[in-house]
Formats: sequence, structure tokens, C-alpha cells
Amino acid sequence: MTTPVLQVNELQVSYHAHSGVVPAVRGVDLEIAHGETLGLAGESGCGKSTLALALLRLLPPTTKVTGSILFAGKDILTMRPGEVRAIRWAQASIIFQGAQHVLNPVRTIGRQIDEASETHGMNRSGGVAELLEIVGLGARRAKDYPHELSGGQKQRALIAMALACDPMLIIADEPTTALDVMIQAQILQMLEEIKRERGLSMLFITHDLSVLSQIADRVAIMYAGRVIEVGAGRDLLREFKHPYSIALAASFPVIGDTASRRNPRGLVGDPPSPNDLPSGCAFHPRCSVAIEKCRSTDVVLKSVSKSMDRRVACLHFGGQSD
Amino acid sequence: MKNSDRLIRAMIWDRRRRAFFGVLRELRHDRPGFIGLLLLTFFGLFALAAPLIADRSALLAASGRNNPDLAAPSAKFLFGTDEIGRDVLAQLVWGSRVSLFIGLFATLVAVVIGSVVGLVAGYAKGKVSAVLLAIDDFFLVVPFLPLAIVLAVVLGRSPLTLAIVIGFTSWAGSARLIRAQVLTLRERAYVERAQALGAGSWHVIRRHVLPGVAPLIIANATLIVPVAILTESTLSFLGFGDRLSPSWGKLLDGAQSSGSITINAWWYFLPPGLCIIGIVLAFTMLGRALERIFDPRLRGR
Amino acid sequence: MSWRYLLKKVGGAFLTMAVVVVFNFFLFRIVDRDPLAKYRGRSKLTPEQRETMIRRMGLEGSKWDQFVVYVKSVFRLDFGRSFDSTQPVLEEIKMRLPATLLLVGVSTLLTIFIGLYIGTKAGWRRGSRFDKASTSASMVLYSTPEFFFGMLLLAFVAGRTGWFPTGGLRTVGADHDFVGNILDRFHHLVLPMLTLTLGYLGSYALIMRTSMIETLGEDYLVTARAKGLKDSEVMSRHAVPNALLPSVSLIAISCGYIIGGAITTETVFSYPGLGLATANAIQNNDLPMLQALFMLASAAVILFNLIADIIYAFLDPRVKRVE
Repeated sequence: MTTPVLQVNELQVSYHAHSGVVPAVRGVDLEIAHGETLGLAGESGCGKSTLALALLRLLPPTTKVTGSILFAGKDILTMRPGEVRAIRWAQASIIFQGAQHVLNPVRTIGRQIDEASETHGMNRSGGVAELLEIVGLGARRAKDYPHELSGGQKQRALIAMALACDPMLIIADEPTTALDVMIQAQILQMLEEIKRERGLSMLFITHDLSVLSQIADRVAIMYAGRVIEVGAGRDLLREFKHPYSIALAASFPVIGDTASRRNPRGLVGDPPSPNDLPSGCAFHPRCSVAIEKCRSTDVVLKSVSKSMDRRVACLHFGGQSD
Repeated sequence: MKNSDRLIRAMIWDRRRRAFFGVLRELRHDRPGFIGLLLLTFFGLFALAAPLIADRSALLAASGRNNPDLAAPSAKFLFGTDEIGRDVLAQLVWGSRVSLFIGLFATLVAVVIGSVVGLVAGYAKGKVSAVLLAIDDFFLVVPFLPLAIVLAVVLGRSPLTLAIVIGFTSWAGSARLIRAQVLTLRERAYVERAQALGAGSWHVIRRHVLPGVAPLIIANATLIVPVAILTESTLSFLGFGDRLSPSWGKLLDGAQSSGSITINAWWYFLPPGLCIIGIVLAFTMLGRALERIFDPRLRGR
Repeated sequence: MSWRYLLKKVGGAFLTMAVVVVFNFFLFRIVDRDPLAKYRGRSKLTPEQRETMIRRMGLEGSKWDQFVVYVKSVFRLDFGRSFDSTQPVLEEIKMRLPATLLLVGVSTLLTIFIGLYIGTKAGWRRGSRFDKASTSASMVLYSTPEFFFGMLLLAFVAGRTGWFPTGGLRTVGADHDFVGNILDRFHHLVLPMLTLTLGYLGSYALIMRTSMIETLGEDYLVTARAKGLKDSEVMSRHAVPNALLPSVSLIAISCGYIIGGAITTETVFSYPGLGLATANAIQNNDLPMLQALFMLASAAVILFNLIADIIYAFLDPRVKRVE
């Protein structure tokens, strides 16, 4: 089997705040194969953005990161700064969310995109113009400043920038969240095409499950800093197993089914704050099928069955409830 | 008044009192702010204790006749004497009253003008606001020291006029700040609701907008005092002010014009200068601490 | 940059200056009923002399007449004669301008560069020893009246050690060659320049530091790091250009303060520039001089603000340059 493009083992990320140590990511294992898109879903505060930043070691120096993050077999957490900088953008690049503030307002789009390839000593034949054409912006946009672009155009510019060094993996952190639905569809389609043409892998982070149904090969659901369900995209989205996943999916009203809109079968309460996590399974206070053991046992991902590609972190599955 | 009114009044005052002590408590945790507060208390006591430390007659030119001129510190004159033999410590301690008075009064003038202009400019719309803004712009652009100088020359050199002149040249910055705050507050829901209920503008300003800008005004005022004191010291140094009831700046003027600096009569100019630095630092540290307390966004500065 | 923007800004500057001129007119005339009230020697004038003086100073006739005369003379750059020296004010100013320009010019440049450097470094490494030390030092500097630095330098450096002269522009009566002359002038410039620089260094450093700290929270810095840039590159290419923006406007406003500082500094060192002239004019109630100096100072600050606005428009592409 070929080495996966990205392999994450037991990743833990904690912040140091005045109140103490705050765990944002508590032991995550992930794997992305060549040409595969892994969708990572979860609500705000579950740790998915922290995870994205941690992958390229972009968190502030006061955060503690343990575990291993392997890009094509090499662990970025053990590299020296020079090697880390070489890997950034060249092996994996990020499309950040909130295109509003992630671009330098006093430099042109063209220069910012060019900066990426220049830093890695790459001399692109088509230059910035080619990248801008690919994302549908047009070469003349290179002279524009970020404030002269619309939201959708800025997102396209970010994608062009992410491709500048021909990375193997693109980490997309909520790339379509702030956009109108129609533009969202265009961007997603564009991402699909680019991915296919270049054989890219993608880690697509979002809180919107419907988006994942279109583009993800495999899907992982995150809650309170842990992956609580992961499996093949089609199967998982058709039939969720973990109580949280079920509730999450049910929160989305279905177009055409007015009943679902009037009675959203959502969740009671709020996601736990990382400073104040429940004992045992972090979901148990809000879970409708929680049992006594849920409060005391630290739950891990276990395979559901040998035939299905599915792992769930719940005592009710994988023979853990007795 | 009705019992319910009385109850509401009591609740409001209780809340304000608790807020005040809350601020004091927070200050204790903020080291620079706390140091500032201590320094201020020290200078305040120093100024208040003036009659206990030196007799007022020591300020008169005649009092120096029998004393040695420009004498170094001794047991009798803790800070030595000036060029006509007067006790420097006496001038220092009585001067603290003048400097503090001018600084505080000037700040009061500046804050009152600035608040009124800021409130009206922020709350009113259209022409009134535009005119006020233009006036504010003018006072921001014109260099304040030359302006203060010409005003003082024209209006007179007594400490009171000095204070008014300084206040008059310092209000522009506060007006800007307050106006910005009023603009945000005006859009808030409770103001709209009050207006919908038919409340007059004046009432809205007094009851709703003013409490919102009050913390900002206080923090800003604390930061104007140091500027006022520095300006007073500069103006006094340049010749304004009263030689017979000298401020710290006036002492520095005395040192300069008597040529005591080149002969190194350090006891004459070092104490007033250090006092100025001390009190300006105190107000600045306190003001910044208050800013931090009232606007959590600024924490960590 | 569009011409319209430039024109708008220049127009604004002229308008402000016009307001200053009008303000100046009313300032000195509304207070006293006797037009010669401030003139020290007034009791010694004969009635004819009074008449001549009044006419010469443009103080006769109705307020409107006076105003017309006043505006005309301002355009002619005729500011009357100094009460003190009886020379034309314009000549007095021309004589002293170069010395002050030199002093203020060099000090401002030094203050800006050193202040910006310290502020950038302190803000970038917030909480470091450098930051804590430089911020405390900046606050003390900022709290000190600038002429007090002058006094300290005068007493302890010039007075005691005699390394530097205690004042003046150059050594009186000395006969140097050209190079010697320049060195001599520079020798006399050092302490006043040091005084002015120290006086305003603190506030510039603090302004830049605050600006830098605010910029550090921006997301585009993460993007820059993600692209593989070194820390120094992130700082110089992305952080500093953005942090400079608010500093530019604040620095322009501070130039007004440096002009004020020149007045007291020149006094301490008896440096014969416009500052000392102002101090003397205050002592002597020399109204024509004070009027002219006030207008000159205002004009200078308005000019600085204009330059700062233009520089800002160059640096920040978000400024609407097309109206």
C-alpha cells in the first residue's frame, strides 16, 4: 500500500490560558490517501480549525502539540524550522475561512500568490496568470487589491494561492461557509475539477454536512476535540451510527419536507466548553441513549463490523456496552 | 416620591457603588495602575500638607533676604535656597497645589467642553454635527502650544486664566473619542426604543447615552491631566504664571533664568522636574489602567 | 493617485490656513478697547505718534476696514514691526528660521527612525525583556517635559564636563575655516538636538508599539507563515507595512508637539532660532512677533498634516483615491 499523503496519530493540542490548560484536540487519528477527500465535520468549538492549524504547526508557541503528523511518511512535529517552512505550502497548503481578513490589504493579489512560489524557489511557467485562469478569475485580477474583490472572488484567489506550489494535499477550512449558496456550488464544483485534474488529496473542514455529501470520499465527525465517527462517505451520510452524528444530521431541515423545518429534531443544550469537559464520553450529558458506563468510561474509536468501513466512538457499538 | 421610585433609585446607586468598588478591586490587580494610584495619593497628601511643611510667607521675595542665595541643601533648608534666598522646599510644596489645581481645573474645562461637543456632535445629525466636527478639526490641527501661548498673552497670566486656556486647547481629542462612542451607542436598541416611546432627546442623552460614555470620559480625563500638567509646566517655564505663588514649572523657570543650571545648583531644578515626572507618570499609569478595565479589548497592553 | 484627491486635500489645507488667519485677526483685537493696550511704551507717545502707530499697525477704522488691511498685509507677508526690536517681523523671522529648521529637522528624523525601530521591536516581541524595558523607558520619557532633559544635559554634561557648549549657535568670536565652522555649529547643535529627540522619542515608540500589537492579531500573518515565510519576512513584508499606517497619521499630529518643544529647548540652550524668539516675544509682549510666529507654526503643522495625508494615501490602497 502506498504511503498515505497525510497520517495523523494521537494528535493532542492544548492551549495555555489563565484558567489553566485547555485541551482543544484530545487524541485524533486521521489518514488521507492519495487523491482522496476526507471531510471533517463538527460544530463550532469542536477543535476542527485548531486541528487544521496544527497540521502545519501554525499555532502560537504557547500551545502544546503532541503526537505525530506524517506528510508522506515524515513527521512535521520533529522537524527543524527550516524543514517545516519547506513543507508548508509545498506539501500541503491551506484555504482559510473568512477570506475577508486572511489577505494582506496593502499588497496586490498577484504579489501575494507569487510570494508563495517565490518562497519555495519555484519558477512557475505560466506564473500567477495561469493560476488565476484556473480558478476563473482572469489574469488581469493580479493587479487588484483584496478589498477590490467580492467574497466569492476572494475565495477563488485563495484557492489559486493554495495551488501555487503544486501541493499534494489541500486543507480547506470552511472555504464556502461565508458565501451565498449559488457561489458555494460553483466553488465546490471548481474544487472537484481541480482535485481530479491534479490528483490532489483534500481535507475538507466544515460544519455543513450537505456540502460533504457532494465531495467527500470519507467523512469524520468531530465532537469536543475527538473524532467520534469516521467511515466511507456515502455509507456514513446515509446512515449515521453515533448518537451525536444522528442528532447533527437531523438538525438540518430537509428541503421539501416542511415538517422537518417546523420541528427540527436538534439537540438539547450546547457543546461543552473545552475548559469544562464532562467526564467519560464528552457527549453523555446531551445523549438520549446514554447509560451509566458512559459517564465513567473514556470512549475510543472502534470498528463497527468487519465488512463495513466504519468506526464509532460509542459504548453501544463495537461490543463495548457490556 | 413613590416607593417604587425610591426603590429603583436605591438600586441604581447600589449598582454604581458596587461598580466603583469593583473598579478599585480590579486596580489592585493591575500593577502599573496601582502604583499610579499610590503615587497620586502621595502627591495629594503632599499638596494638602503644605501648611504643615512650610509657612506661606516663605514664598515672598522678602523672606529670602537673610538667607544665603543658591545654598546647597542643609538641615535648615532641605532643598536649599533659590537665587534670592527663598526656601526651595517651601516653593515646591506650595507649588504642588498650584500645579495640581491648574492641571485638574484645566482638565475639567477640557472634559466639559469635549463632552458637550462630543455628545451633541454624536447625537445630533446633519448641519449641527458637521459644524461641530469642523470646529473640532480646527482645534486638532492648530498646534496647541502656540495657540495656548497667544491665548494666554491676550487673556492674562493668572493661574485661573492659564487653566482655562490649557483646557480650551485640549478638548478636541476627547470630543472625537466621545463622539465616536455616542455614535455606536445611538444605534443601540434601547435608545431606539426610548425614542419610540416618545422620550425627548435630552432625556435620552441623560439617561441612556451618558451612562454609556461615562467610563470613557473618566478614563480619558485621567489621561488629559498629565497633558495639562505638562502644558502648565511649559507655559510657566516660558514666563506665564505668578512668581509669588510659583508652580513646579515656575520653579524651573526660576532656575533657568537665574542661570543656576550651568553652575549646577541641582537642588533648584531637580526636585520640581522629578515631581512633574512623578505626577504625570502616576496619572498616565492610572489612566491606562482605567482604560484597560473599562474596555476589555485593550487588555494585555 | 487621482488629481481630484490631491486637490481636495490641498484645498482643505488652504481653507484651514485661511481660518487660522481670520482667527488670528480676531484674537488680538477683541480683548482690549485701546488698540495699543499691549504696547509697553504707550504712555510715552505723543498723540501724533499714537496716530502714526495706529495707522501703521492697521488699527484704525471699523473692524471691517481693519480686517481688509490685515488680510492684504498677510498676503504681502508684511507682519508689521516687532515691538521689541522695531525691525520688520519678516526679517526677524527670516534670520532665525534656518537655525530652527536645522534643529527641528534633524531631531524629527532621529525621533521618527529610532522611535519606530524601538516600537516595532517591542511590539513584535511583546512581553520580552526588551519590550518591558523599552516601554517603561518610553513612558518615563513621555512623562518628562522636554526642556527638563535640556536642563539635565546642560547641568551634568555641559556644565560639569565642559564637553559641550552651554548654548548659542556657534562660538562667539572664534575664527574657523569652513569645515571648522560646520563642526562648531554641529558641536552646538548636539545637546539641543538630543533634548528634542529624547523628549518625543517615548511617544513615537509607544505609538508604533501599540500599532504593531494590533497588527499582530491579524489573520493574514498566519497566511504568510503558512506559505513558508520566515518570521523576519512575515514581519517586514506583512506586519510592518500595515502597522505603519496608523502611525503615519499620529506622527503627523505629533509634529505639532515638536514645534512646541523647540520653543522651550531653544530657551534652555539660548539657541537663537524661532523658538527663542517666541520666548522673548512672550516676555516682551511683542504682539506682532507672536501673531506671525503663531501663523507660521500653524502653517507648518498644516503642511505636515497634508504631507502625512498624501503619504498615507500612497501606503494604503484602500483609501478612496477616486472620488
